[in-house]
Amino acid sequence: MRLSRSSRRAPAETIVALIDVTFFLLVFFLLVGRLDASAPFEVIPPIATSGESLPAGGMTVSMSPAADLALDGQPTERAALVAAVRGRVEAGDLERLRLNVHADAPVRDLLALVAALEETGATPVVLVVTPTPP
Amino acid sequence: MRLARGTAPRGSAIPLTPLVDVMLILLVFFMVTSTYLNLDMIPMIDRAEEDMPPARGATAGDAAGAAMLVRVRADGALVWQGRVLTPEALGEVLAARVTEDPGARLLVLPAGAATTQALVRVLDVAQAAGVRAVNLLRLDGP
Repeated sequence: MRLSRSSRRAPAETIVALIDVTFFLLVFFLLVGRLDASAPFEVIPPIATSGESLPAGGMTVSMSPAADLALDGQPTERAALVAAVRGRVEAGDLERLRLNVHADAPVRDLLALVAALEETGATPVVLVVTPTPP
Repeated sequence: MRLARGTAPRGSAIPLTPLVDVMLILLVFFMVTSTYLNLDMIPMIDRAEEDMPPARGATAGDAAGAAMLVRVRADGALVWQGRVLTPEALGEVLAARVTEDPGARLLVLPAGAATTQALVRVLDVAQAAGVRAVNLLRLDGP
């Protein structure tokens, strides 16, 4: 009696499914990991438990503890930053302005920046916080 | 003249193993280097709230409700009517005031050297106590 033996060769489709899943995960981590690269310096947001949910979109202004500024990840000075924000406000396409300020940044620099931004007419301006310590 | 044309050997597809190797390395790289933060926001400038009287140049009599003042010292301590209070104690005081006067406003006067975390702590306490209007005061120095 001859029994048929199944072929030991793995089907070719297996590696295609693996590539699909790997690509999916790769793109996912690419998109998610971009948030951390939005400032040329480290920014640890202040902790607040009563913050509202942060929607996506808009411009992001980052401030380091030494009051260094960055606009959408690019280092800049305050005058250039205010001019860029004013341009977006006058163009009417400023959806939101997010202040990504380090928890140890002095209030003096934060309020001076907020006052300068307020004069441009930018609204709404929100401060990024986190409910849990990083 | 007949030229011999190179024929691609059948069955020699592009090897996928190096591609999978590179993708797995990239995947592990992004998994390790990605950081996850649960981000929220606190409104700083909102034109929708401009119906409320601004803090600058306004007096307590102009406001719909009474004005309450909290100072934030450079070391982060919260000062209420000359006394240093813990955030919890300040929250209780503010909640009691808001219960008496729902329209009460909170004026926050932070020291310039205070940290953003100290300022946010006050805003957090005020929000939890039910204060609806919070204004930040800034002393324009030379």
